[in-house]
Amino acid sequence: MIEGILVNGVCAFMGTVGFAMMFNVPKRYYLSCGMTGAVGWLVYKGVHLYASSAVASFLAALMVVLISRMLTVRMKCPITIFLVSGIIPLVPGAGVYYTAYYLVMNQLSMAAQKGMESIKIAFGIVLGIAFIISIPREAFQMGYWRQKIRLRKIRFRRNRKNRLQG
Amino acid sequence: MEIQQITKDKRDYMYLLLVADPQEDMVDRYLDEGDMFILKDQGEVKTVCVVTLLKNHKCELKNIATLTEDQGKGYGRYMINFVCEYYSGQCDTMYVGTGNSRKTIGFYEKCGFVNSHIIANFFVDHYKEPIYEEGVRLVDMIYLKKSLESKLDVKKVVDMAIEAGRILLKNGAEIFRVEETITRICKRFHVNHVDIFTLSHAIFVSAENGEEEAYTRVKHVPLSAPHLGVVAEVNDLSREISAGHVTINEAVERLKEIDEIPPKKAYVQILAGGIGSGFFGVMLGSTPLESAVAFVIGCLVNVWVLIGKRNHMSKIIVNIIGGVLLTAFTLLFQYLIFWNAMRIDGIIIGAIMPLVPGLAFVNAIRDIADSDFLSGTVRMIDALLVFVYIAIGVGCVLSLYYRLGGMI
Repeated sequence: MIEGILVNGVCAFMGTVGFAMMFNVPKRYYLSCGMTGAVGWLVYKGVHLYASSAVASFLAALMVVLISRMLTVRMKCPITIFLVSGIIPLVPGAGVYYTAYYLVMNQLSMAAQKGMESIKIAFGIVLGIAFIISIPREAFQMGYWRQKIRLRKIRFRRNRKNRLQG
Repeated sequence: MEIQQITKDKRDYMYLLLVADPQEDMVDRYLDEGDMFILKDQGEVKTVCVVTLLKNHKCELKNIATLTEDQGKGYGRYMINFVCEYYSGQCDTMYVGTGNSRKTIGFYEKCGFVNSHIIANFFVDHYKEPIYEEGVRLVDMIYLKKSLESKLDVKKVVDMAIEAGRILLKNGAEIFRVEETITRICKRFHVNHVDIFTLSHAIFVSAENGEEEAYTRVKHVPLSAPHLGVVAEVNDLSREISAGHVTINEAVERLKEIDEIPPKKAYVQILAGGIGSGFFGVMLGSTPLESAVAFVIGCLVNVWVLIGKRNHMSKIIVNIIGGVLLTAFTLLFQYLIFWNAMRIDGIIIGAIMPLVPGLAFVNAIRDIADSDFLSGTVRMIDALLVFVYIAIGVGCVLSLYYRLGGMI
């Protein structure tokens, strides 16, 4: 179990860094890209034990985009860098292969099944990304929450003062 | 005509500065702290000017002088236009002080300056000898001012912004980022009415400044290899621009530099493809031996992809042949070298990864999530077709192989 997590985590990390290199991501982002990919893949693997691959992809994509958005705000760079690297392990490359394979072998029902599964995975990823992207940007900046808490405190104090005076 | 900034040996041009300001110690007051520019025409210095920065985003044109025999040829005006543009990045008003002479004030008014204020008895108090111009003694200093915001050329701003957008789009940024960057740059340089329409292969920008000037540009952006490092660089630049640290000319220069950032070296990219293939193989359930083979084949496939890119081959060819190559190599390794010690699919699912259009896929999704359906759909079809091409390549070789009954 632990060994599986370790192997999957390390492999996802290295694989993601490999792809980051292919996309010419600057060196300073390798670590964060690798981590994003590893976390996304581990979530996928974990959820996949109990649910279909589409659901697993959805939750993993959700996680990846969430992490990417936090990293973007922190490191002040385009979200694409983390997003692309993090999503890559989830992209159904194997599904495409199996679809082609079964088509060639003339096992059409299997091909259709694999093809549908790939499409479902793709939709899972789409939904995952769309969900988190629609959260406004401010929510990922610490300053926004700090200000909100400060405002609330001020309002609270003012109310209490008013009440005491009243 | 060319204009240079002078940082050393400013006193070399004292002979010219004295044309406009006849007392040397008055010139010395501002010479050191001021920025000096000279205008050269055919290698000969024609005009010189000195500008000092004041507080609160203001600057003052302290001295502008043209050789007496070359006056009235437009050199001075050219110089003033240049400095106005140069300082518009950091200042919003430029002042200039002059004596009460019809000729000079007329010149400044033609350049767009308007009356500001008067300092009484300036020339009497600060100059030892009385100065006469057109037979009248100069007494009060008359200040004129010019607001620099309107000085910026809409064309130049839009050209720069669209160049930034082009670089972003070319290197794999989302539509949303391209449009945001262009808007941000235009806003910063006070071009407030901008409309942008971005497709996956083109940018259309139409800008308006005030009432008269409208400017439209269309830029075609051919597809090319993604370079996320460049996207990050342009993003940093656009942040700096909107913070007001970069003038328009600097921005143009920086964009040129960014556009020339080379991709990673070929062997790094090839190895990266191999690493991606190998480790993804393990993740998808291959044995270590299969992954090692996937690593080698991933490298080989990436060599092919790079060759394809160098020679600008079409995506169809690159991906179909890529699929064919990777399957053929797999079969070769499987039957000729390792004698059936591995599963074919264990190798192929790893080795297929360098061909998978991850970036196009993710960008398509992002565009759709941002409601840029047009570009999103185009990019999605692009990604799906690549999947289909790979499948065709892989499928052809496999079917050929099974037709032959696996007897190679």
